[in-house]
Amino acid sequence: MTLSEIADGKLAPRLGIKLDNISKRYGDNTVLDDVSLHVEPGTVTALIGPSGAGKSTFLRCINLLERPDSGTIQVDQHTIEPGKDVNSRDLAALRRTVGMVFQSFNLFPHMSALKNISFPQQKVLGRSKDEADERSMQLLERVGLKEKAHQHPGRCSGGQQQRIAIARALALDPSIMLFDEPTSALDPEVGLEVLAVMRELAADGMTMIVVTHEMQFARDVSDTLVVMADCRIIEQGDPRAIMSDPQEARTRRFLRAVLER
Amino acid sequence: MTWLTEWAGYLPQMMSGLSVSLLIAGVSIVAGYPLGLILSVMVSAKNLAVRTLALAVVEIGRGAPALVILYLFYYGLPKFGIAFESITAACLALIWNSAAYSSEIMRAGIQSVGRGQLEASNALGLAQRHTFFRVVLPQGLRSAIPGLMGVAIQMFQGTSLAYAIAVPELMKSAYNIGSQDFNYLQIFTLAGLCYAAISMPATWITVFFEKRLARHA
Ligand SMILES: Nc1ncnc2c1ncn2[C@@H]1O[C@H](COP(=O)(O)OP(=O)(O)OP(=O)(O)O)[C@@H](O)[C@H]1O
Ligand SMILES: [Mg+2]
Repeated sequence: MTLSEIADGKLAPRLGIKLDNISKRYGDNTVLDDVSLHVEPGTVTALIGPSGAGKSTFLRCINLLERPDSGTIQVDQHTIEPGKDVNSRDLAALRRTVGMVFQSFNLFPHMSALKNISFPQQKVLGRSKDEADERSMQLLERVGLKEKAHQHPGRCSGGQQQRIAIARALALDPSIMLFDEPTSALDPEVGLEVLAVMRELAADGMTMIVVTHEMQFARDVSDTLVVMADCRIIEQGDPRAIMSDPQEARTRRFLRAVLER
Repeated sequence: MTWLTEWAGYLPQMMSGLSVSLLIAGVSIVAGYPLGLILSVMVSAKNLAVRTLALAVVEIGRGAPALVILYLFYYGLPKFGIAFESITAACLALIWNSAAYSSEIMRAGIQSVGRGQLEASNALGLAQRHTFFRVVLPQGLRSAIPGLMGVAIQMFQGTSLAYAIAVPELMKSAYNIGSQDFNYLQIFTLAGLCYAAISMPATWITVFFEKRLARHA
Protein backbone atom coordinates (compact mmCIF):
# COMPACT_ATOMS: atom_id res chain seq x y z
CA MET A 1 0.00 0.00 0.00
CA THR A 2 1.20 3.49 -0.70
CA LEU A 3 1.09 6.47 1.63
CA SER A 4 -1.79 8.27 0.00
CA GLU A 5 -3.79 5.12 -0.66
CA ILE A 6 -4.13 4.36 3.00
CA ALA A 7 -7.29 6.47 3.13
CA ASP A 8 -10.40 4.40 3.69
CA GLY A 9 -9.91 2.58 0.43
CA LYS A 10 -10.37 5.71 -1.63
CA LEU A 11 -7.78 8.10 -2.92
CA ALA A 12 -8.05 11.80 -2.34
CA PRO A 13 -8.50 13.38 -5.76
CA ARG A 14 -5.33 14.69 -7.28
CA LEU A 15 -5.67 18.38 -7.63
CA GLY A 16 -3.49 21.11 -9.00
CA ILE A 17 -3.38 24.64 -7.82
CA LYS A 18 -3.43 27.97 -9.62
CA LEU A 19 -2.07 31.05 -7.94
CA ASP A 20 -2.43 34.26 -9.88
CA ASN A 21 -1.05 37.73 -9.22
CA ILE A 22 -0.45 37.20 -5.52
CA SER A 23 0.84 40.33 -3.78
CA LYS A 24 1.65 40.82 -0.15
CA ARG A 25 2.91 43.85 1.73
CA TYR A 26 3.80 44.37 5.37
CA GLY A 27 3.27 48.09 5.77
CA ASP A 28 5.43 49.71 3.13
CA ASN A 29 7.50 46.58 2.71
CA THR A 30 6.52 44.55 -0.34
CA VAL A 31 7.19 40.86 0.25
CA LEU A 32 5.40 39.34 -2.75
CA ASP A 33 5.11 41.32 -5.93
CA ASP A 34 2.52 39.92 -8.33
CA VAL A 35 3.58 36.28 -8.12
CA SER A 36 1.81 33.64 -10.23
CA LEU A 37 2.35 29.91 -10.15
CA HIS A 38 0.43 27.02 -11.67
CA VAL A 39 1.01 23.54 -10.30
CA GLU A 40 -0.20 20.51 -12.24
CA PRO A 41 -1.92 17.70 -10.33
CA GLY A 42 0.44 15.01 -9.15
CA THR A 43 3.61 17.02 -9.62
CA VAL A 44 6.29 18.15 -7.22
CA THR A 45 7.39 21.76 -7.27
CA ALA A 46 10.57 22.73 -5.45
CA LEU A 47 10.80 26.35 -4.37
CA ILE A 48 14.30 27.68 -3.79
CA GLY A 49 15.87 31.08 -3.36
CA PRO A 50 17.87 33.26 -1.01
CA SER A 51 16.74 34.06 2.52
CA GLY A 52 14.12 36.78 2.62
CA ALA A 53 13.02 36.12 -0.95
CA GLY A 54 9.45 35.55 0.22
CA LYS A 55 9.32 31.74 -0.13
CA SER A 56 7.67 31.07 3.21
CA THR A 57 5.29 33.96 2.80
CA PHE A 58 4.25 32.69 -0.62
CA LEU A 59 3.71 29.16 0.68
CA ARG A 60 1.70 30.45 3.61
CA CYS A 61 -0.47 32.51 1.28
CA ILE A 62 -1.59 29.31 -0.42
CA ASN A 63 -3.54 28.09 2.64
CA LEU A 64 -4.18 31.62 3.85
CA LEU A 65 -2.04 31.42 6.96
CA GLU A 66 -0.91 34.72 5.50
CA ARG A 67 -3.60 36.78 3.83
CA PRO A 68 -2.39 38.17 0.48
CA ASP A 69 -3.44 41.73 -0.35
CA SER A 70 -4.53 40.75 -3.83
CA GLY A 71 -4.59 37.89 -6.30
CA THR A 72 -6.57 34.69 -6.68
CA ILE A 73 -6.10 31.16 -5.40
CA GLN A 74 -7.78 28.39 -7.29
CA VAL A 75 -7.96 24.86 -5.94
CA ASP A 76 -10.41 22.37 -7.35
CA GLN A 77 -13.74 24.18 -7.89
CA HIS A 78 -12.93 26.82 -5.32
CA THR A 79 -11.68 30.22 -6.30
CA ILE A 80 -10.61 32.40 -3.42
CA GLU A 81 -9.89 36.09 -3.69
CA PRO A 82 -8.09 36.84 -0.46
CA GLY A 83 -8.19 40.61 -1.10
CA LYS A 84 -11.94 40.39 -0.50
CA ASP A 85 -13.80 38.74 2.33
CA VAL A 86 -13.24 34.99 2.43
CA ASN A 87 -16.18 33.09 3.84
CA SER A 88 -15.46 30.45 6.41
CA ARG A 89 -16.79 27.61 4.22
CA ASP A 90 -14.29 28.36 1.47
CA LEU A 91 -11.52 28.72 4.02
CA ALA A 92 -12.38 25.38 5.62
CA ALA A 93 -12.54 23.69 2.20
CA LEU A 94 -9.17 25.16 1.25
CA ARG A 95 -7.51 24.04 4.47
CA ARG A 96 -8.98 20.57 4.19
CA THR A 97 -7.58 20.21 0.68
CA VAL A 98 -4.15 21.58 1.49
CA GLY A 99 -1.89 20.00 4.13
CA MET A 100 1.14 21.78 5.53
CA VAL A 101 4.38 20.72 7.16
CA PHE A 102 6.49 23.27 9.03
CA GLN A 103 10.20 23.66 9.62
CA SER A 104 9.62 23.48 13.38
CA PHE A 105 7.16 20.53 13.22
CA ASN A 106 4.61 22.27 15.46
CA LEU A 107 3.25 19.07 16.92
CA PHE A 108 0.94 19.56 19.90
CA PRO A 109 3.26 18.84 22.84
CA HIS A 110 0.47 17.92 25.26
CA MET A 111 -0.85 15.12 23.06
CA SER A 112 0.64 11.74 22.24
CA ALA A 113 1.76 11.10 18.67
CA LEU A 114 -1.43 9.12 18.09
CA LYS A 115 -3.61 11.89 19.51
CA ASN A 116 -1.80 14.48 17.41
CA ILE A 117 -2.87 12.59 14.31
CA SER A 118 -6.33 11.46 15.44
CA PHE A 119 -7.61 14.63 17.08
CA PRO A 120 -7.75 16.74 13.86
CA GLN A 121 -9.43 13.87 12.00
CA GLN A 122 -12.16 13.72 14.62
CA LYS A 123 -12.75 17.47 14.67
CA VAL A 124 -12.24 18.35 11.02
CA LEU A 125 -13.54 15.25 9.25
CA GLY A 126 -15.90 14.04 11.96
CA ARG A 127 -14.35 10.58 12.10
CA SER A 128 -15.07 8.49 15.16
CA LYS A 129 -12.21 7.95 17.59
CA ASP A 130 -11.79 4.34 16.45
CA GLU A 131 -11.76 5.23 12.77
CA ALA A 132 -9.32 8.04 13.39
CA ASP A 133 -7.01 5.91 15.54
CA GLU A 134 -7.00 3.15 12.97
CA ARG A 135 -6.03 5.57 10.24
CA SER A 136 -3.41 7.16 12.48
CA MET A 137 -1.83 3.79 13.24
CA GLN A 138 -1.65 2.94 9.55
CA LEU A 139 0.09 6.22 8.84
CA LEU A 140 2.43 5.87 11.80
CA GLU A 141 3.38 2.44 10.58
CA ARG A 142 3.94 3.81 7.11
CA VAL A 143 6.34 6.49 8.36
CA GLY A 144 8.04 3.84 10.49
CA LEU A 145 6.93 5.09 13.89
CA LYS A 146 4.26 2.71 15.07
CA GLU A 147 6.11 2.15 18.33
CA LYS A 148 6.00 5.88 19.07
CA ALA A 149 2.18 6.06 18.99
CA HIS A 150 1.79 6.60 22.71
CA GLN A 151 4.84 8.80 23.24
CA HIS A 152 4.56 12.55 23.51
CA PRO A 153 6.47 14.60 20.92
CA GLY A 154 8.98 15.68 23.57
CA ARG A 155 10.16 12.08 23.70
CA CYS A 156 10.76 11.88 19.95
CA SER A 157 13.77 13.03 17.95
CA GLY A 158 13.39 15.88 15.49
CA GLY A 159 13.24 13.52 12.53
CA GLN A 160 10.61 11.41 14.23
CA GLN A 161 8.57 14.50 15.12
CA GLN A 162 8.65 15.69 11.54
CA ARG A 163 7.47 12.30 10.28
CA ILE A 164 4.63 12.39 12.80
CA ALA A 165 3.78 15.89 11.56
CA ILE A 166 3.65 14.59 8.00
CA ALA A 167 1.37 11.76 9.11
CA ARG A 168 -0.85 14.29 10.90
CA ALA A 169 -1.28 16.30 7.72
CA LEU A 170 -1.83 13.22 5.54
CA ALA A 171 -4.49 11.88 7.90
CA LEU A 172 -6.89 14.56 6.65
CA ASP A 173 -6.57 13.21 3.08
CA PRO A 174 -5.24 16.40 1.53
CA SER A 175 -4.89 16.66 -2.23
CA ILE A 176 -1.96 19.02 -1.98
CA MET A 177 0.91 19.12 0.49
CA LEU A 178 3.01 22.17 1.31
CA PHE A 179 6.40 21.79 2.96
CA ASP A 180 8.33 24.75 4.36
CA GLU A 181 11.95 23.68 4.79
CA PRO A 182 10.93 20.41 6.44
CA THR A 183 14.51 19.31 7.06
CA SER A 184 16.22 22.60 7.90
CA ALA A 185 15.92 22.07 11.65
CA LEU A 186 17.36 18.55 11.43
CA ASP A 187 20.80 17.00 11.31
CA PRO A 188 21.57 15.96 7.74
CA GLU A 189 21.36 12.26 8.60
CA VAL A 190 18.02 12.61 10.33
CA GLY A 191 16.79 14.78 7.48
CA LEU A 192 17.23 11.80 5.19
CA GLU A 193 14.50 9.87 7.04
CA VAL A 194 12.13 12.71 6.36
CA LEU A 195 13.19 13.12 2.75
CA ALA A 196 12.63 9.40 2.22
CA VAL A 197 9.03 9.75 3.35
CA MET A 198 8.59 12.74 1.04
CA ARG A 199 10.07 10.85 -1.90
CA GLU A 200 7.53 8.09 -1.39
CA LEU A 201 4.75 10.58 -1.20
CA ALA A 202 5.91 12.13 -4.46
CA ALA A 203 6.13 8.69 -6.07
CA ASP A 204 2.53 8.08 -4.98
CA GLY A 205 1.50 11.10 -7.00
CA MET A 206 0.82 13.63 -4.28
CA THR A 207 0.82 17.21 -5.50
CA MET A 208 3.57 18.89 -3.51
CA ILE A 209 5.16 22.31 -3.16
CA VAL A 210 8.40 22.13 -1.22
CA VAL A 211 10.46 25.07 -0.03
CA THR A 212 13.90 23.59 0.42
CA HIS A 213 17.63 24.07 0.49
CA GLU A 214 18.17 20.37 -0.35
CA MET A 215 19.42 20.72 -3.90
CA GLN A 216 19.72 17.01 -4.44
CA PHE A 217 16.11 16.47 -3.44
CA ALA A 218 15.05 19.34 -5.70
CA ARG A 219 16.96 17.87 -8.61
CA ASP A 220 15.94 14.24 -8.17
CA VAL A 221 12.38 14.52 -6.98
CA SER A 222 10.84 17.71 -8.28
CA ASP A 223 9.19 18.08 -11.66
CA THR A 224 9.45 21.85 -11.59
CA LEU A 225 12.03 24.05 -9.98
CA VAL A 226 10.94 27.55 -9.05
CA VAL A 227 13.50 30.15 -8.10
CA MET A 228 12.37 33.11 -6.04
CA ALA A 229 14.37 36.24 -5.31
CA ASP A 230 13.41 39.75 -4.29
CA CYS A 231 9.68 39.18 -3.87
CA ARG A 232 9.11 37.47 -7.21
CA ILE A 233 9.66 34.29 -9.21
CA ILE A 234 12.68 34.91 -11.40
CA GLU A 235 12.98 31.56 -13.09
CA GLN A 236 11.10 28.28 -13.33
CA GLY A 237 11.28 25.08 -15.31
CA ASP A 238 13.01 21.71 -15.44
CA PRO A 239 15.19 21.39 -12.33
CA ARG A 240 18.18 19.82 -14.12
CA ALA A 241 18.10 22.39 -16.87
CA ILE A 242 18.03 25.28 -14.44
CA MET A 243 20.71 23.81 -12.22
CA SER A 244 23.09 23.12 -15.07
CA ASP A 245 22.31 26.21 -17.09
CA PRO A 246 20.51 28.96 -15.20
CA GLN A 247 19.23 31.77 -17.39
CA GLU A 248 19.30 34.47 -14.75
CA ALA A 249 22.45 35.89 -13.20
CA ARG A 250 20.66 36.02 -9.84
CA THR A 251 19.88 32.30 -10.04
CA ARG A 252 23.47 31.51 -10.95
CA ARG A 253 24.74 33.47 -8.00
CA PHE A 254 22.33 31.75 -5.63
CA LEU A 255 23.06 28.25 -6.95
CA ARG A 256 26.79 28.80 -6.69
CA ALA A 257 26.37 29.94 -3.09
CA VAL A 258 24.33 26.88 -2.12
CA LEU A 259 26.26 24.26 -4.04
CA GLU A 260 29.62 25.48 -2.81
CA ARG A 261 28.61 25.18 0.82
CA MET B 1 6.80 22.81 77.82
CA THR B 2 3.98 24.91 79.28
CA TRP B 3 3.52 26.57 75.88
CA LEU B 4 2.96 23.21 74.28
CA THR B 5 0.34 22.09 76.80
CA GLU B 6 -1.43 25.44 76.60
CA TRP B 7 -1.33 25.29 72.81
CA ALA B 8 -2.92 21.88 72.94
CA GLY B 9 -5.76 23.40 74.95
CA TYR B 10 -6.25 26.23 72.43
CA LEU B 11 -6.12 23.94 69.46
CA PRO B 12 -9.83 23.03 69.10
CA GLN B 13 -10.84 26.68 68.92
CA MET B 14 -7.96 27.43 66.56
CA MET B 15 -8.95 24.56 64.31
CA SER B 16 -12.46 25.90 63.90
CA GLY B 17 -10.93 29.24 62.91
CA LEU B 18 -8.55 27.54 60.52
CA SER B 19 -11.39 25.65 58.87
CA VAL B 20 -13.21 28.94 58.24
CA SER B 21 -10.02 30.40 56.74
CA LEU B 22 -9.61 27.38 54.50
CA LEU B 23 -13.25 27.61 53.45
CA ILE B 24 -12.89 31.26 52.43
CA ALA B 25 -9.64 30.53 50.59
CA GLY B 26 -11.23 27.53 48.85
CA VAL B 27 -14.26 29.50 47.72
CA SER B 28 -12.13 32.38 46.46
CA ILE B 29 -10.03 29.96 44.41
CA VAL B 30 -12.79 27.71 43.10
CA ALA B 31 -14.93 30.67 42.05
CA GLY B 32 -12.11 33.10 41.32
CA TYR B 33 -10.06 31.07 38.86
CA PRO B 34 -12.85 30.35 36.38
CA LEU B 35 -13.75 34.04 36.54
CA GLY B 36 -10.08 34.83 36.04
CA LEU B 37 -10.01 32.65 32.94
CA ILE B 38 -13.06 34.43 31.53
CA LEU B 39 -11.46 37.80 32.31
CA SER B 40 -8.18 36.75 30.69
CA VAL B 41 -10.06 36.02 27.47
CA MET B 42 -12.17 39.18 27.70
CA VAL B 43 -9.08 41.33 28.16
CA SER B 44 -7.91 40.34 24.66
CA ALA B 45 -11.38 40.60 23.09
CA LYS B 46 -11.88 42.56 19.89
CA ASN B 47 -14.84 44.47 21.31
CA LEU B 48 -13.60 47.63 23.00
CA ALA B 49 -16.39 47.75 25.59
CA VAL B 50 -15.76 44.16 26.66
CA ARG B 51 -12.04 44.76 26.81
CA THR B 52 -12.40 47.95 28.85
CA LEU B 53 -14.79 46.34 31.32
CA ALA B 54 -12.51 43.35 31.84
CA LEU B 55 -9.47 45.56 32.20
CA ALA B 56 -11.23 47.69 34.81
CA VAL B 57 -12.25 44.63 36.83
CA VAL B 58 -8.71 43.24 36.70
CA GLU B 59 -6.93 46.48 37.47
CA ILE B 60 -9.17 47.31 40.42
CA GLY B 61 -8.83 43.77 41.74
CA ARG B 62 -5.06 43.97 41.58
CA GLY B 63 -4.59 47.65 42.27
CA ALA B 64 -6.81 48.19 45.28
CA PRO B 65 -5.77 46.61 48.58
CA ALA B 66 -7.97 43.63 49.37
CA LEU B 67 -8.99 45.31 52.62
CA VAL B 68 -10.44 48.27 50.73
CA ILE B 69 -12.53 45.97 48.55
CA LEU B 70 -13.58 44.04 51.61
CA TYR B 71 -14.79 47.19 53.35
CA LEU B 72 -16.57 48.34 50.21
CA PHE B 73 -18.50 45.10 50.07
CA TYR B 74 -19.26 44.97 53.78
CA TYR B 75 -19.76 48.62 54.72
CA GLY B 76 -20.22 50.27 51.32
CA LEU B 77 -22.83 48.22 49.52
CA PRO B 78 -25.51 48.40 52.25
CA LYS B 79 -25.83 52.05 51.15
CA PHE B 80 -27.41 50.63 48.00
CA GLY B 81 -29.55 48.23 49.96
CA ILE B 82 -27.22 45.31 49.36
CA ALA B 83 -26.10 43.76 52.61
CA PHE B 84 -23.94 40.67 53.01
CA GLU B 85 -23.07 38.57 55.96
CA SER B 86 -19.48 39.15 56.92
CA ILE B 87 -18.28 35.79 55.63
CA THR B 88 -20.05 36.33 52.28
CA ALA B 89 -18.48 39.77 51.94
CA ALA B 90 -15.08 38.27 52.69
CA CYS B 91 -15.56 35.58 50.04
CA LEU B 92 -16.72 38.07 47.41
CA ALA B 93 -13.79 40.39 48.04
CA LEU B 94 -11.26 37.58 47.83
CA ILE B 95 -12.97 36.12 44.74
CA TRP B 96 -12.45 39.47 43.04
CA ASN B 97 -8.86 39.48 44.20
CA SER B 98 -8.10 35.96 43.04
CA ALA B 99 -9.94 36.42 39.73
CA ALA B 100 -7.90 39.53 39.01
CA TYR B 101 -4.53 38.02 39.87
CA SER B 102 -5.20 34.65 38.26
CA SER B 103 -6.46 36.28 35.06
CA GLU B 104 -3.12 38.00 34.57
CA ILE B 105 -1.25 34.76 35.16
CA MET B 106 -3.48 32.82 32.79
CA ARG B 107 -3.24 35.55 30.16
CA ALA B 108 0.54 35.37 30.31
CA GLY B 109 0.36 31.57 30.10
CA ILE B 110 -1.91 31.68 27.06
CA GLN B 111 0.31 34.24 25.36
CA SER B 112 3.37 32.12 25.97
CA VAL B 113 1.99 29.40 23.68
CA GLY B 114 4.03 29.59 20.51
CA ARG B 115 2.69 31.05 17.27
CA GLY B 116 3.57 27.78 15.56
CA GLN B 117 0.88 25.99 17.56
CA LEU B 118 -1.78 28.34 16.28
CA GLU B 119 -0.49 28.08 12.75
CA ALA B 120 -0.44 24.29 12.81
CA SER B 121 -3.95 24.24 14.19
CA ASN B 122 -5.19 26.71 11.56
CA ALA B 123 -3.42 24.86 8.77
CA LEU B 124 -5.17 21.66 9.82
CA GLY B 125 -8.45 23.51 9.50
CA LEU B 126 -9.40 23.15 13.16
CA ALA B 127 -12.21 25.50 14.23
CA GLN B 128 -11.37 28.50 16.41
CA ARG B 129 -12.95 26.94 19.47
CA HIS B 130 -11.03 23.69 19.07
CA THR B 131 -7.83 25.65 18.53
CA PHE B 132 -8.43 27.61 21.70
CA PHE B 133 -9.83 24.98 24.05
CA ARG B 134 -7.85 21.95 22.89
CA VAL B 135 -4.55 23.37 21.67
CA VAL B 136 -3.82 26.75 23.24
CA LEU B 137 -5.59 26.60 26.61
CA PRO B 138 -4.16 23.30 27.90
CA GLN B 139 -0.63 24.46 27.14
CA GLY B 140 -1.21 27.95 28.48
CA LEU B 141 -2.72 26.73 31.73
CA ARG B 142 0.02 24.20 32.20
CA SER B 143 2.64 26.88 32.25
CA ALA B 144 0.39 28.94 34.54
CA ILE B 145 0.19 26.24 37.24
CA PRO B 146 3.04 27.49 39.47
CA GLY B 147 1.76 31.05 39.32
CA LEU B 148 -1.78 29.95 40.11
CA MET B 149 -0.57 27.97 43.09
CA GLY B 150 1.23 31.07 44.27
CA VAL B 151 -2.01 33.03 44.09
CA ALA B 152 -3.76 30.27 46.03
CA ILE B 153 -1.25 30.64 48.87
CA GLN B 154 -1.62 34.40 48.72
CA MET B 155 -5.42 33.97 48.97
CA PHE B 156 -5.10 31.72 51.99
CA GLN B 157 -2.95 34.28 53.76
CA GLY B 158 -5.33 37.00 52.58
CA THR B 159 -8.18 35.40 54.50
CA SER B 160 -6.67 36.95 57.64
CA LEU B 161 -8.08 40.27 56.42
CA ALA B 162 -11.56 38.94 57.08
CA TYR B 163 -10.70 39.44 60.74
CA ALA B 164 -11.34 43.13 60.12
CA ILE B 165 -15.05 42.48 59.61
CA ALA B 166 -15.33 39.95 62.45
CA VAL B 167 -15.41 36.75 60.41
CA PRO B 168 -14.59 33.92 62.84
CA GLU B 169 -11.53 32.84 60.95
CA LEU B 170 -8.10 31.91 62.27
CA MET B 171 -6.96 35.38 63.32
CA LYS B 172 -10.27 36.08 65.02
CA SER B 173 -10.05 32.83 66.98
CA ALA B 174 -6.52 33.71 68.02
CA TYR B 175 -7.56 37.17 69.12
CA ASN B 176 -10.49 35.82 71.12
CA ILE B 177 -8.29 33.34 72.94
CA GLY B 178 -5.63 35.97 73.51
CA SER B 179 -8.03 38.47 75.01
CA GLN B 180 -9.14 35.94 77.62
CA ASP B 181 -5.81 35.65 79.44
CA PHE B 182 -3.61 38.09 77.49
CA ASN B 183 -1.23 35.39 76.21
CA TYR B 184 -0.92 37.27 72.93
CA LEU B 185 2.67 36.21 72.25
CA GLN B 186 1.84 32.52 72.58
CA ILE B 187 -1.40 32.59 70.72
CA PHE B 188 -0.23 34.65 67.75
CA THR B 189 2.85 32.46 67.47
CA LEU B 190 0.49 29.51 67.24
CA ALA B 191 -1.60 31.34 64.63
CA GLY B 192 1.54 32.02 62.60
CA LEU B 193 2.48 28.36 62.83
CA CYS B 194 -0.99 27.38 61.59
CA TYR B 195 -0.66 29.64 58.54
CA ALA B 196 2.84 28.33 57.90
CA ALA B 197 1.73 24.71 58.28
CA ILE B 198 -0.49 25.17 55.25
CA SER B 199 1.52 27.69 53.21
CA MET B 200 4.94 26.11 53.42
CA PRO B 201 4.07 22.68 52.06
CA ALA B 202 2.01 24.43 49.38
CA THR B 203 5.08 26.45 48.44
CA TRP B 204 7.19 23.30 48.24
CA ILE B 205 4.62 21.73 45.94
CA THR B 206 4.72 24.87 43.78
CA VAL B 207 8.49 24.70 43.52
CA PHE B 208 8.21 21.03 42.60
CA PHE B 209 5.81 21.89 39.77
CA GLU B 210 8.02 24.74 38.60
CA LYS B 211 10.98 22.39 38.35
CA ARG B 212 8.97 19.75 36.58
CA LEU B 213 7.62 22.23 34.06
CA ALA B 214 11.07 23.67 33.47
CA ARG B 215 12.37 20.18 32.78
CA HIS B 216 9.66 19.47 30.22
CA ALA B 217 9.80 22.87 28.56
N1 LIG C 1 5.00 39.06 9.84
C1 LIG C 1 5.89 39.80 9.13
N2 LIG C 1 5.95 41.13 9.32
C2 LIG C 1 6.82 41.89 8.61
N3 LIG C 1 7.67 41.39 7.71
C3 LIG C 1 7.67 40.08 7.49
C4 LIG C 1 6.77 39.20 8.18
N4 LIG C 1 6.98 37.95 7.73
C5 LIG C 1 7.96 38.03 6.82
N5 LIG C 1 8.37 39.30 6.66
C6 LIG C 1 9.40 39.76 5.73
O1 LIG C 1 9.10 39.26 4.47
C7 LIG C 1 10.27 38.92 3.76
C8 LIG C 1 10.15 37.51 3.23
O2 LIG C 1 10.13 36.60 4.31
P1 LIG C 1 10.00 35.05 4.09
O3 LIG C 1 10.00 34.45 5.44
O4 LIG C 1 8.85 34.77 3.22
O5 LIG C 1 11.35 34.71 3.35
P2 LIG C 1 11.95 33.30 2.99
O6 LIG C 1 12.23 33.34 1.53
O7 LIG C 1 11.10 32.21 3.49
O8 LIG C 1 13.33 33.32 3.77
P3 LIG C 1 14.08 32.14 4.56
O9 LIG C 1 14.83 31.33 3.54
O10 LIG C 1 15.00 32.86 5.47
O11 LIG C 1 13.06 31.35 5.29
C9 LIG C 1 11.44 39.11 4.72
O12 LIG C 1 12.08 40.32 4.40
C10 LIG C 1 10.77 39.21 6.06
O13 LIG C 1 11.48 40.07 6.89
MG1 LIG D 1 11.26 30.71 5.02
